[in-house]
Amino acid sequence: MIELQGLTKTYAGKNVVEDISLRVESGEFGVLIGPSGCGKSTTLRMINQLIPLSRGRILLGDEDVSRLKPEQLRRRMGYAIQSIGLFPHWTVAENIAVVPNLLKWPRARVDARIDELMNLFHLEAGEYRDKYPHQLSGGQAQRVGVARALAADPEVLLMDEPFGAVDPLTREVLQNEMLRVHEQTRKTIVFVTHDMDEALKLASKVAILNQGRLVQYDRPIELLVDPADGFVSDFIGKADLGLKLLSRRWVDQYCRPPCLERDSGAGRHSWEVDADGRPLALHGGRLSDDGEARTAVNGEWIATPEMTMKEALSRMVWFRVMVLPVIDQAGKLIGEVTMEGVMGRQP
Amino acid sequence: MTASSDRAGRLVANRVLLTLWVAALLASALLPFAAMAPNRLVSGEAIKLIVALTTWQSAGLALLALLLALAALSRPLSATQGLRLTLVVAPLTLLLTLYALGDYAGRALAEASPAARVSQGAAFWVLVFCTLLMIVDAFQRLRAPLWVGGAYGLALVAAIAGLFASGQFNALSILNEYFNIQDAFADQLLTHLRLVGLALAPALAIGLPLGLLAHRRPALRGSLFGTLNFFQTIPSIALFALLVAPLSALGDSFPLLRELGVKGIGAAPAIIALIMYSLLPVVRNTHAGFAGVAPATLEAARGMGMTRRQVLWRVEIPLALPVILSGLRIVTVQAIGLTVVAALIGAGGLGAFVFQGLGQYAIDLVLLGAVPTIALAVVADFLLQILVAISRPAGGR
Repeated sequence: MIELQGLTKTYAGKNVVEDISLRVESGEFGVLIGPSGCGKSTTLRMINQLIPLSRGRILLGDEDVSRLKPEQLRRRMGYAIQSIGLFPHWTVAENIAVVPNLLKWPRARVDARIDELMNLFHLEAGEYRDKYPHQLSGGQAQRVGVARALAADPEVLLMDEPFGAVDPLTREVLQNEMLRVHEQTRKTIVFVTHDMDEALKLASKVAILNQGRLVQYDRPIELLVDPADGFVSDFIGKADLGLKLLSRRWVDQYCRPPCLERDSGAGRHSWEVDADGRPLALHGGRLSDDGEARTAVNGEWIATPEMTMKEALSRMVWFRVMVLPVIDQAGKLIGEVTMEGVMGRQP
Repeated sequence: MTASSDRAGRLVANRVLLTLWVAALLASALLPFAAMAPNRLVSGEAIKLIVALTTWQSAGLALLALLLALAALSRPLSATQGLRLTLVVAPLTLLLTLYALGDYAGRALAEASPAARVSQGAAFWVLVFCTLLMIVDAFQRLRAPLWVGGAYGLALVAAIAGLFASGQFNALSILNEYFNIQDAFADQLLTHLRLVGLALAPALAIGLPLGLLAHRRPALRGSLFGTLNFFQTIPSIALFALLVAPLSALGDSFPLLRELGVKGIGAAPAIIALIMYSLLPVVRNTHAGFAGVAPATLEAARGMGMTRRQVLWRVEIPLALPVILSGLRIVTVQAIGLTVVAALIGAGGLGAFVFQGLGQYAIDLVLLGAVPTIALAVVADFLLQILVAISRPAGGR
């Protein structure tokens, strides 16, 4: 868990970061986003004390980080940056081993960790272990950069636009990998980006910054349906690219088996189907819902496998549901697409 | 015009080699190969190559020349084959030239007065330099690894040393001169090396931290480089002379310093001047080396939790080292050359022979100072080049 309390940075009498308070829970993927100059990178770099903070407090767990030596603190936090900054005179293995070596891990443990991480990022150890950074592609180098950040099993992972400099195709692959890695490691992540698509896809919670202030800090879905002010809705509006992207994707890519078991509880949902397997109603599955509300399925809020995700998303938002039934040509329930699924997150 | 140069381009594979070949041929035909003088101090009678050589030597040289011409052409050999042929034939030409000169000196002096001297002429030097350049050029074109060049160079040096050891050159004037000053030669060579070492060590000790300082404190950079640049613009003889007065005053007022060797003439002003000349390249290259480390690498190093000292020793220095060593290479070669001038203020070194020879108008004595200086510079340059190559991050940058 990492918590910022009233974080402020003043340069020459001007507050570039002003009174930012937010909390990224353990295992959460927090994203800081905003237009350039909004203070998102400054905020991130204050967390690992690359920039000294002017006022405020940062808690790592229940420790005030100002009590720690900067170097000690940084060794407990992974750090990955856009320009990667791999050490050109060291091999991939040596790059990954930087922090474990600083922490004086025994050699065998370091070696095992290198293999484990290369495996996690699907980098064939036999082929890449002894390569030098200049022999890697941009995507491979960034994987090594993230592996290096994770090497000493840090409590928090800080990432400053790590995928900003790679081509769109590679970026998407890396984002998917990041999601998978987060799923597997449950690291607490603070991730800076200026790309709303990326934020919506990766984040558990998104912090929108403008002119050094925190404007809204919410789950991606809540940003979409309930923007705090005009700036947020404008900013999300500018992320039209995300919708364009979804217009090139199809429901069958996001479809997963439907939940038919009645299992009451917050955030759960289930489908009621008729004898022919056609969906009749949804129990739960609405925004801020206790899992009990029953919503009848009508011809409007269904999805078909060949429908674009943009349309599916549009229907979810319009009908204020978190999940759509996917039906085949006979009208049978064959799966569901969820709001989390749209963001690339499976609940 | 394009068409004709195209045709020439197709016929001639290696223009550098051909140019050197033509130069060597013209020099052999027009310039004296050796000089025969009745005694040490008068300039001698010019002897052409064709006169100096025996029949088999002439035939051998002609054959080697033909092979070199073949190597320069694009047919029938491929470019690589041509270069390899050059690397075989050029050193043979060099060795035959050296052998022929020694051989001629022996034959000529056998029937002359004991005071008579045979020395090398312009054509000899042109042949030596042309063949050496052919070898260097061929190596550069082949992009051979450094160690191959090193091994080849060692073999060539060994072959020439063998000729020397066999007494092949003993009849030459320059060797006579060498035998006269044999003991002094070893002394002066050591003095030369000691002066260079005594100047470079403090230059590095001062220059490396200054270079780092220039990198860390941009505000200081302008005045620091300005000052060092100013030293660099003072002509060496003037700087040596300028140091004589203050140092002799210093030595006179403080007997302790005088005992340590601080006086107006001798090693002290020479070493101080050499340090002043060496500082700029050392500082500039150190600064450039540190400035060349990517900011992202430094940010990553700090962000990973390296201390300032760890960033310096594990990241900045290793990455800056090739550039810093290139600076060392420049100042080493420069110091070896400048030390020759230091002999003027009584510091000794190989320069002593140069100025002694100039004073007596004994060119052989001048060469005895100059040629080893050049050889020292070439060897130092090569060794430091290897060091630079080793210091490069594996796999290049």
